[in-house]
Amino acid sequence: MYKKQFPLLLAFLGGAIPIVSFFITTPGDRLKVTTDTLQDWMLIIAGAALLLGVVNLFQINLRKISTRAKGWPNALWLLLSLVIAAILGLADAFDTSVFGIWGGDVAFQWIQDAAFKPLQSTMFSLLAFYVASAAFRAFRVRNVEAGILLSAALIIMLGVNPYAVKILPFLPDTTNWIMNIPNAAAQRGIIIGAALGAASFSLRILLGIERSYLGLQKGE
Amino acid sequence: MDMMERLMNLDRRWLYLLVGLAAVIPILAPLNLPVNVSKPVQDLYDRIESLEPGEIIMVSFDYGPSTGPENDPMGDAIIMHALARDLRVVIIALYPLGGVTEAREELERCVGDLDPPNGQIESTRFPGKVYGRDFIYFGYKDGGLAAMRLMSDNMHEVFPADFYGTPLEEYELGREVQGYDDVAFVMSLATGIIGEWWANLVNAQFGTPVAVGCTAVSAPKYFAYYRAGQMFALLAGLKGAAEYEYLVSEKYPQLADITDSFIYNAGKGWDVQSVVYSIITLFIIIGNVAFIVERRRQKRGM
Amino acid sequence: MDFGTVAATWLGAFFTLCILSFLYKDNPFFRFAESVFAGVSMGYYIGNTFGQTFVPNLVHPLFTPPEGTPREWILVIPMLLGFLLYTRYVKKIAWVSRFSLAIYVGYYTGVNMMQKLQGEVLPQSADTVVSFWRAGAFANVGNWISLLVVVVGVLSVLVYFFFSAEHKGVVGGVSRLGIWFLMVSFGAAFGYTIMGRISILIGRVIFLINQWLGIGNGGVA
Repeated sequence: MYKKQFPLLLAFLGGAIPIVSFFITTPGDRLKVTTDTLQDWMLIIAGAALLLGVVNLFQINLRKISTRAKGWPNALWLLLSLVIAAILGLADAFDTSVFGIWGGDVAFQWIQDAAFKPLQSTMFSLLAFYVASAAFRAFRVRNVEAGILLSAALIIMLGVNPYAVKILPFLPDTTNWIMNIPNAAAQRGIIIGAALGAASFSLRILLGIERSYLGLQKGE
Repeated sequence: MDMMERLMNLDRRWLYLLVGLAAVIPILAPLNLPVNVSKPVQDLYDRIESLEPGEIIMVSFDYGPSTGPENDPMGDAIIMHALARDLRVVIIALYPLGGVTEAREELERCVGDLDPPNGQIESTRFPGKVYGRDFIYFGYKDGGLAAMRLMSDNMHEVFPADFYGTPLEEYELGREVQGYDDVAFVMSLATGIIGEWWANLVNAQFGTPVAVGCTAVSAPKYFAYYRAGQMFALLAGLKGAAEYEYLVSEKYPQLADITDSFIYNAGKGWDVQSVVYSIITLFIIIGNVAFIVERRRQKRGM
Repeated sequence: MDFGTVAATWLGAFFTLCILSFLYKDNPFFRFAESVFAGVSMGYYIGNTFGQTFVPNLVHPLFTPPEGTPREWILVIPMLLGFLLYTRYVKKIAWVSRFSLAIYVGYYTGVNMMQKLQGEVLPQSADTVVSFWRAGAFANVGNWISLLVVVVGVLSVLVYFFFSAEHKGVVGGVSRLGIWFLMVSFGAAFGYTIMGRISILIGRVIFLINQWLGIGNGGVA
C-alpha cells in the first residue's frame, strides 16, 4: 500500500495546499506559513529534478563508449564537455579557483561565451534556413483554408515590411487589426479550451485517477 | 524540364545561400529603415514616462542566448530608459537555460563593467547610478511557478543573496523590495511560457501590472493576453524591440549614442530582418504562382 | 582585447561554422559540435543550479549559516526529497522516488489548476463579454464590428473544439467558421514565426562578420 497509495496521498496534499491557500489568504497564519515553506522546498526539489537528465546522459553515453557503438567518439566528446563545464560551474558555485590558477567565475563565464552561447544560438539559427526552404517548397494554396492561412500570413508579412508599407500605407493598421481582433479571438478560444482541458487533467492527477506519472498503469 | 519545373525542384542549398547573402549584405551596407510604432509598444513607453523618479521596476530575464537577438535589445532599452528616468531597477532571471547569463551581460552592457564584491559599483555609462541603490541583480532561481508565487511577499526567501552572493539585506534596494507591492510593474523578457505565467499567475492572482517582451514566435498568443488587459504592454519580437528602441532614442539622444555603439542593436537587426523577410515573402509568392500555373496546366492537359 | 576574449571569439566562431556546415550536408564537424552542445548545456545547468539555487537556498542556510543566524534544519527534508528522485535509476529501490515525484507533481498540478482557471479561463471569457460595456465600445462602426468579430471568433473556435457533438448542420457550419478563424491565427503565427527564426540567424551573422572578422561597423559586444 505504501508503495502506491501513499504517493497518491502525497500528490493530493502537495496540490491541495496551494489550492486552499489560494482561497484563504490571511497573512501570518499557519496555512500561509505551510504554503510558503512548501514553495521554498520546491525551489530545491525543482533544481534536483532539472539535473535528473545528467544521470541518464551518463548511462546512455558510457554504454555507447564501452561497447564501441556507432558514433562512440561523439559520446566521448559529450561526456568530456559535460564534465569540464560542470567542474567550472561548480568552481563558480562554491567560489573556488580551478587548479588554483583560474577564478571559478571567470572560467565559467568564459566557457559560456566560448561554447554555450555560440552553440545554442547557432543550433536555433538553422531554423531560419529551414523555414525559408519550407516556405518555397511546401507552402501551397491547395484549398480554401490554406488560402485563408496564406492571405493572413502575407498581410502580416507585408505589414511589417518597410518596403511594402511605403507602397501600401494602410498595411500596418490592417496588420494590427488582424493581430488584435481575429487572431486574438482564435487564440482566446484556444487558450480557454486548452485551459479547461489542463484544469480537468490536473484534477484527475490530484484525485489519483491519472497515475501514469508515477509509472503506474490504469487499475494499479 | 521547363523553367517552372526547374524552379519547383531547385536544390534547397541554393535557397540557403540566398538567405545567407540576404542576411550578410545589409550588415555590410546598413539601410537604416524606418519603423512605425504600434500601440502595445507605445503603452510601455508611456507607462515608464508616467512613473515618478525613485519608483522601482522589476525586469525578469526569462530567455536564453537562443533568442538573444530579439530579447537583448528589449532588455537594453528598458534598463537604460528606466535609469535615464531616474527609476530604480531590480533584475532577476527565471529561465534555466541561459537567463542568468543574459541578465548579467545586458546589465553590464547598459551600465558598464561591474564587480560589486570588489567595490566596483558605480555605473560608467550612467554616472551617479550605483549598484545596490539604483539598480541590483538578484540572480537566477529554479522553481518557476513556485518562485513566482513565493516572491509575491517573500522576495528574500527566494533570493537570500544577490547574483554575486551578497545578502540582499546589505543593499538599500535589496531591503526595500520585499514583494510585488514594492514594484511599479514587472517587465518579463520571455521566450516561451514564462511570460504567460507572469500574466496568468502574477497579474491574475496578485494584481501586479505586467508587461512582456516576447519572441515573435510566441507573439500571436500574447496578443490575447494583451487584449484582455492581463498585460498592459507587449513588445513582439525584433520589430517590437526596434519600435521601443526608436521611441527611447528619439527622446533621449544620449541613449541613442550608447545604443549606436553596440555591435548589435534592434535597429541593425531590423534592417537585416526586413531584407530576409522580403526574400522569403517572394519565395512564398513565387512558389504558389508556380504551383497554380502547374495545376492549371495539368487541368488543361486532362 | 585580452587573450581570453580572443580565444572565446575564435572558439565561438569555430563552433558556429561547424553547426552551419550542416546546411551543406551532415559531416563529422557538425556531429562534434552537436555533442559538445549537449554536454556543455548540461554542465551549464549543473553549475547554474548549484550556484544560484542549491548554494544560497540550501547549503548556506543548512550547513554554513551566517553568525548569529540559526541553522535551518527543516531544509533536510527537501534535500532528502531531492536525493530520493535519483533512486529511480536503481531498479530495486526505484519505487522510493515516487514520494518525491508525487509531492513535486502534486504541487505544480495544484498551482497549474488554479492558474488555468483564474488566470486564463476567467479573464479571457470576461473580456469577451465586458468589452461591450467599456467606454467607447460603440464609438464608431469599426469598433462595433471588431467586438462582434471577437465574440463570433471565440465562440466558433470553442464550438470547433467541442468534439462531444457531431459537427453537422448548424454545429458543422459554426465549426467551419471556427476553422477559418484558426487559419487566420495560424497565418499570423506563420508570419511571426518566420520573423522569429530570422532574428536568431541575424545575431549569428553579426557575430561572425562584425565581431570575429572585424568587418563593417563594430562596437561594444
